[in-house]
Amino acid sequence: MKIKDLPDDNLFTAGHTACPGCGVAMSIRNAIRILGKDTVVYVPASCAVVFGTTFPFGAWKVPFFHTAFENTGACLTGMKAAFEMKGKKVTAVGFAGDGGTYDIGLQSMSGAAERNDDVLYICLDNEAYMNTGIQRSGGTPFGAWTTTTPVGKKVQGNRRFKKNLADIVAAHEIPYYATLSIGHPLDFIKKVEKAMTFKGFRFLHMFTPCIPGWKMDPAKTVEVTKLAVESGMWTLYEIENGEKKITYKPGKMKRVRDYLMMQGRFRHMSDDDIKTLQMWVCKKWNLHYKEKGAPEVCEIAPPEEHHAVTEEHREMHGP
Amino acid sequence: MFEVRFHGRGGQGAVMAAQTLAEAAVIEGNYAVAFPFFGAERRGAPVLAFTRIDAKKIYSKTQVYAPDCVVVLDDSLLDTIDVVAGLKPQGTVVINSKEKPEDIDLGKEIRTASVNATSVALEILKAPITNTAILGSFAKATGIIKIESLEEAIKSRFGEKLGEKVGERNALAARTAYENTVIGKSRGIKKLEPRKQWLPTYQEMPVGGVLVEGITEAGLIGPGSFIENKVYGWATFRPVRDREKCTMCLLCWFYCPEGTIVRISDKGDLMTNYDYCKGCGVCANECPVDAIKMVRARV
Repeated sequence: MKIKDLPDDNLFTAGHTACPGCGVAMSIRNAIRILGKDTVVYVPASCAVVFGTTFPFGAWKVPFFHTAFENTGACLTGMKAAFEMKGKKVTAVGFAGDGGTYDIGLQSMSGAAERNDDVLYICLDNEAYMNTGIQRSGGTPFGAWTTTTPVGKKVQGNRRFKKNLADIVAAHEIPYYATLSIGHPLDFIKKVEKAMTFKGFRFLHMFTPCIPGWKMDPAKTVEVTKLAVESGMWTLYEIENGEKKITYKPGKMKRVRDYLMMQGRFRHMSDDDIKTLQMWVCKKWNLHYKEKGAPEVCEIAPPEEHHAVTEEHREMHGP
Repeated sequence: MFEVRFHGRGGQGAVMAAQTLAEAAVIEGNYAVAFPFFGAERRGAPVLAFTRIDAKKIYSKTQVYAPDCVVVLDDSLLDTIDVVAGLKPQGTVVINSKEKPEDIDLGKEIRTASVNATSVALEILKAPITNTAILGSFAKATGIIKIESLEEAIKSRFGEKLGEKVGERNALAARTAYENTVIGKSRGIKKLEPRKQWLPTYQEMPVGGVLVEGITEAGLIGPGSFIENKVYGWATFRPVRDREKCTMCLLCWFYCPEGTIVRISDKGDLMTNYDYCKGCGVCANECPVDAIKMVRARV
């Protein structure tokens, strides 16, 4: 399916109260457009539940359910089983955030994956607990500022690397795992469509920028997603029945510094920290994109011009 | 006791304004408290904040229901919110608006001060953050606080958090607004009815808390009812598309997080529904042929 073949109708209506330029809203709107109206949706505690269903309003035009934070996997299993009992064919979809997948919902997701229940799990990864006011999660990258990993004199930002959720999920030997980016529409559409063709536990991992949490210009949501892929901070691939396939390989690796300097949450990073993160990215890049026998790619950014925090930026987004 | 209520939008700094005003009052030797109204606010959604100033210690902890002054950081709020609710008859309204007080209809004839704080902020701060500018206007309109102590409070509060230069520029914004404030009397023609909302009691709710589809006096309810929630007031800028340049690649339609850009398949064209545009600018940024430009909404 191409963009022009997508249906017109909005199953996630306008008028919701997400921030301007929200990456989560973009991903949800397009995912549900492709999934169609024979879908039931579960959303655990997250921004999506606040901006999509604020009593007495609802933006979803498909059956929608919400209970607690930690049980996306279990709820999906139950919903699917109930519809099967009634003899109805539906796609049970869960839109969980990174907090609800990496940390709090991990056991429930693991249970559903282990049972290989016929559900679609979508993780909207904005790399911190944004709904409650930007706290660190397992998905927060190295060096990032959050309210629980503040920038101090001795320690600046998050000291741990992003958890490798892909391998954890893939280790359950599920039929389909894929990473998606809203900046690559054709790849996005293809993967959501493909996920619908499998039976069993399918996992889609979406990269969704958060404007206030990442401290950036709302117009740059898609641009920053593209740059994340070009720099290797986010990689696009799919694991189909245990077989991994790269779906988009960027050309020349862009410096991770360019990606970092677009966002206020990284602007404090020292040259040493950027180097550490660049090493991590290089390792990931080689793991994903290096062909057999090819030389290892590793470009350490030269420690020249350190991008100072501009005043305009501070006024817009704080320190 | 002098009580102030701030009406703003998430991200405009209403809370910071309330706190800065309290700090200025403390500098002058008064007692003051400031606090926000807590809700599920996103950036751009209507928010409330309060300040109380008194020469004695303040023991009142409730929200401000009968303010002496109402500060409105965004005049688009006037369409949906009755900002003068509970305002004392001799009270003052301070509005960020390009209109003169005589042309502003508040539904009540009341002493009003207006200033184009958005233009001041865009010019001096290069961002539509109007909190410090409106405070300058507040100082002029009420006289409860001196502009000098306000400048001092802004420099200390913003300077500490965002650096000295930013503090000074915000103080300049306050001073500029102070000088450009127009004081007059508002019109009282319109009758703002409280917005009807379908708020069922728990007895009326079906078991399991399901929102059923239907139409009530308040409009559409249940699935998809967010369509009733017009969010155009959030936008500072809005997109304008050049039909000649447009190649119908549909990227803007795909990327728009709101559903502002609507596709009309049988005509093979796009339509922009400004009722839902929050002015993020993703469409203009991503357009491969630069057919979309962002222009100031409500100039």
